[in-house]
Amino acid sequence: MTVRNRVRAWLGRDINPLLLAGAIGLAAWPFLAGDAYSLRLLTMAGIYALAAIGYQFIFGHAGALSLAQGAFFGFGAYVAGIMSVRMGAGFEVTFPAAMAGSAVLAALVALPALRLRSHYFALATLGFGQVVLLIAVNWENVTGGANGIPNVPVLSLFGGTVGRGWPMLMLVWSLVAIGALVARRLTGGLTGAALILMREQPMAAEAAGIDIRRIRFAAFLLSALYGGAAGALHVHTVRVVSPEVLEFPVMVMLLAIAVIGGRTSVAGAVVGAVLLIHLPEWFRPLERYYLMAYGAVLLAMIVAAPWGLMGSLRHARRRWLPEPDPPLPAAGPTQAGPSPARLEIMGLTRHFGGVRAVDGIDLVVEPGESVGIVGANGSGKTTVLNMIAGTDRPDSGHIGWAGTEIVGLPPYRINRAGIARSFQTLKLVDEMTVLDNVAAAAWREFGRTDRDSARAAAMGLLQQLDVAQTAWRPCGALPPGLRRRVEIARALIGGPALLLLDEPAAGLTAAERDSLARTLAALNADGTTVVVVEHDLAFLERFVARIVCFDQGRIIADGAPAAVRADPGVIAAWLGQPPGEGDDHG
Amino acid sequence: MELLQLTINGVALGAAYALVALGFVLILNATGAVNFAQGDLVAAGGFLAVALAGLAPVPGILLLPLVAVLMAGVGLAVSAIAYWPLRDRPPVSVFISTIALGIIIQNGLNGLFGAEPRSAPPLFSGGYVEFFGLVVPHQSLAIMSIAALLVGGVHVLLTRTQLGRMLRATAQDREIAAALGVPVGAMVALTFSLAAALAGVAGLLLANQFFITPTHGTDFIVKAYIAVVIGGWGRVGGALAGAMLVALFETVVAAWADYAVATGLLYATMLAILVLRPQGLFGEAGGRRA
Amino acid sequence: MAEVCLTVTGLTVAYANVVAVDDVDLDVSAGEVVALIGANGAGKSSLLKGLMGLGGRVQGSIVLARSNLAGLPPPRRARLGMGYVPEGRRVFAGMTAEENLLVASTDSATARTARTEEMYALFPQLGVRRDAPAWQLSGGEQQMLAVARALMTRPRLLLVDEPTLGLAPAAAQSLIRVLRGIAAKGAAVLMAEQNARAALAAADRAVLMHLGRIEASGTAAALAGDERLLRSVMGG
Repeated sequence: MTVRNRVRAWLGRDINPLLLAGAIGLAAWPFLAGDAYSLRLLTMAGIYALAAIGYQFIFGHAGALSLAQGAFFGFGAYVAGIMSVRMGAGFEVTFPAAMAGSAVLAALVALPALRLRSHYFALATLGFGQVVLLIAVNWENVTGGANGIPNVPVLSLFGGTVGRGWPMLMLVWSLVAIGALVARRLTGGLTGAALILMREQPMAAEAAGIDIRRIRFAAFLLSALYGGAAGALHVHTVRVVSPEVLEFPVMVMLLAIAVIGGRTSVAGAVVGAVLLIHLPEWFRPLERYYLMAYGAVLLAMIVAAPWGLMGSLRHARRRWLPEPDPPLPAAGPTQAGPSPARLEIMGLTRHFGGVRAVDGIDLVVEPGESVGIVGANGSGKTTVLNMIAGTDRPDSGHIGWAGTEIVGLPPYRINRAGIARSFQTLKLVDEMTVLDNVAAAAWREFGRTDRDSARAAAMGLLQQLDVAQTAWRPCGALPPGLRRRVEIARALIGGPALLLLDEPAAGLTAAERDSLARTLAALNADGTTVVVVEHDLAFLERFVARIVCFDQGRIIADGAPAAVRADPGVIAAWLGQPPGEGDDHG
Repeated sequence: MELLQLTINGVALGAAYALVALGFVLILNATGAVNFAQGDLVAAGGFLAVALAGLAPVPGILLLPLVAVLMAGVGLAVSAIAYWPLRDRPPVSVFISTIALGIIIQNGLNGLFGAEPRSAPPLFSGGYVEFFGLVVPHQSLAIMSIAALLVGGVHVLLTRTQLGRMLRATAQDREIAAALGVPVGAMVALTFSLAAALAGVAGLLLANQFFITPTHGTDFIVKAYIAVVIGGWGRVGGALAGAMLVALFETVVAAWADYAVATGLLYATMLAILVLRPQGLFGEAGGRRA
Repeated sequence: MAEVCLTVTGLTVAYANVVAVDDVDLDVSAGEVVALIGANGAGKSSLLKGLMGLGGRVQGSIVLARSNLAGLPPPRRARLGMGYVPEGRRVFAGMTAEENLLVASTDSATARTARTEEMYALFPQLGVRRDAPAWQLSGGEQQMLAVARALMTRPRLLLVDEPTLGLAPAAAQSLIRVLRGIAAKGAAVLMAEQNARAALAAADRAVLMHLGRIEASGTAAALAGDERLLRSVMGG
């Protein structure tokens, strides 16, 4: 393999010539402006870049607005500073200690805080940061209180010193490079697609077997590791331990870097850091107000360009310099999923406020069956589907799958047990390609890193559903009929034993319904149990052997399609109630 | 006796915090948005009072309406800049935009006034009353009365007036409220103005007894959040109870342990409530949550 | 001859890259009930939403009693005489039934309370539950509340989206009777309904939609008699 291909495989993507030029420029800069102050600024930029890259794990990739990054940064600084001053420990000890300390802190906060969403989580992490600051200012014996601890020694690494100026600059930016590569590796490729799915369509990610909570936790820990590392470097650069490092401006800076540079782009973090560290220099006259300028730029960015600089560049490049699509990958096999099993529903009920959405359902589906569920809107069909898939909990009743109770299990567990579903309102990621939308759902099946095999499997399914030619198009550009097929392909990629489809034919033309019916028939012939909620009896009859009719939360008919069709109760519920007496239409 | 004294101090502080939390809850209820800049609006109100007092040395009670009106204008600006353009985006966007606005306000104040603590004039006079050995500053009494008046007023507004009903309807379902003829754009603007006015009043009240610095804004928003979480997210009565609790921690508990420990305990209490009883002490189970 | 209340010409409603309503012409006269029927996804809901101004890119002309509604925001349309009962009721859950009614009124305080009493006369069940928070009401009661709420301003045109959804047959009958009564008092009613039988029984005219277009229209009786047409479009 050539060097370029090796690098590309490692990074998960191609090298961007623009970024390469930028990186070379960045490397050349200190040679050009060689004075001590410039070197120090650039060192600072590297430190903030490292912290920002870490921040991107939780804020960008996991999509959770954490306001604790400053606290991890400061905590790392304190740990490294205290150990270095009080114990004379070298960097080889303080560096890992700072990272470990921050990680422990993160774990403590994460347990209660991570289950919160968006602003709850943000304010919980903010409050936590305030507490850490408070402790630092008040615990004088250990932290030196409000004045901190002066005279932190020069960084010593395995006995040798890394002095200010060039040595420190090299050390910091080497660590940034390592950190950046690790981040790229962790979040690129197939994992990158899975992360996008996770934050744009969390319900779909859960339905694909992804444990979102665990990933958020991991992202939070990683952000703390990077933050602590950056803090340790910081304390050796400024040579003092001070509560300033825990104050809100640090968090502001990191948030600004991420929003302005780009929430998921490592290059953006570097660009943002270099830019924002140098901003006060350019806005000298605004000295006291430079943070105001940050605030203003932050505000302008979030309103006008929410994807940040790198995101905007990417958008612009796609618009003005579109690259031709690569050739379609070859189709490959999907991983075999769990073997077929029996689904048993007993006594299921669900009330919403005063409405009895599901009012005592008993249903058994044998392995390999194909069942259509019909009934008017509001008759409870989707609710039952949701309860099987785990996105809703019944008020009473049991659902057994392969002999075990699945009520109460989170959706991702239910998916891993072999049940896949599609959604009535499509949950695809519009900005991601069709191919990756499907491949992302196979993240776990293909060892989290094998993007080529995942894409091959996706390709196979897209071909089966006759939508393969759109593989490289962004999902948002497709008409609804095609999008629906993509979602079904996504549901199939885990090799499920039971496939639950919620109104898959909605919005499809007659020809598309034909094709879908044939695909589902073939799937069922292969052994997959298929349960489809639909309105179109003719469509269903082409591949189901059994129809169950719901009305007002109960099953009113269950049997062969012909029999159910002729059932008077079904006809009444289906085409609507005939007028009763007392109706004064005249 | 000392406990009683501390409690009275705590109640006065709690009354001021209640005003901070109230504005926060109003915006939350009316728009579903979390206004991170609320604390900085309080600080802005305090500094506005300081500045106005510098121009015209009159008792605070005369400055109060002026501060409220000016801050209402600021509230309008906040809604136009940080909320309305982002109203259909995911809530995180509004959160960041209000953080940004808070930063702008906080650092603007820092630039204009500097970082030293400042003091606004008392509402009436700086004296105090004594009874049974307890010392109660006039300011504390004034704070409690004004807070009670304002909270009561907002409660009446929300529950008994047509305007209040329109505000609540806008909060619960903006689209349908619009389809029923409620001028939802105006409702949102009004909510922000009202919340900012309340913040301004809170700032004026706090700036006398407790001094005010630009960084207090962050402090205020954290306390408002804790109050609202403890009391029950979105419930006005709960926010008040939460505000009292926060203040009592700061006065009573801090006197026994120390300030840092008290804050740590408060935070731990909030986390415990979030984990064990997410709807808050007074919220209803099954309400909109996370 | 009843005056024409609503005239729609060339209405197109698009969301993202889906055309939900495709070049539709429609008239509704005062005092008549027009049923919009068709399968799921036919565009009935989108049509009503487009008329109310609730989202999507809307083109075409909408004239309500000589007022051109194009470009007007929903509150303006409501004040010009359009009433809207959304799909799924969407009552204000945290407010009482009475507050739900009051908030929808644009009258003075005394006129408001008088009007709520009129609504309680029309829906006695609501009168009993007037102080209950709306989330505690049953599905049928919420539906009644949603209709009563839309009637508070005496709209010229009432848009109703799936009124019988999730209702027991008796409640559905009773509601449809109420809608007929409203038309009898002079309002125009445009009703989207998936229960074709009930809709056709209650309506004067009907419009059958399929994939955003009008497939057939005529008197309700005529469409009710055309079984083949109905089945071909609704499937089964």
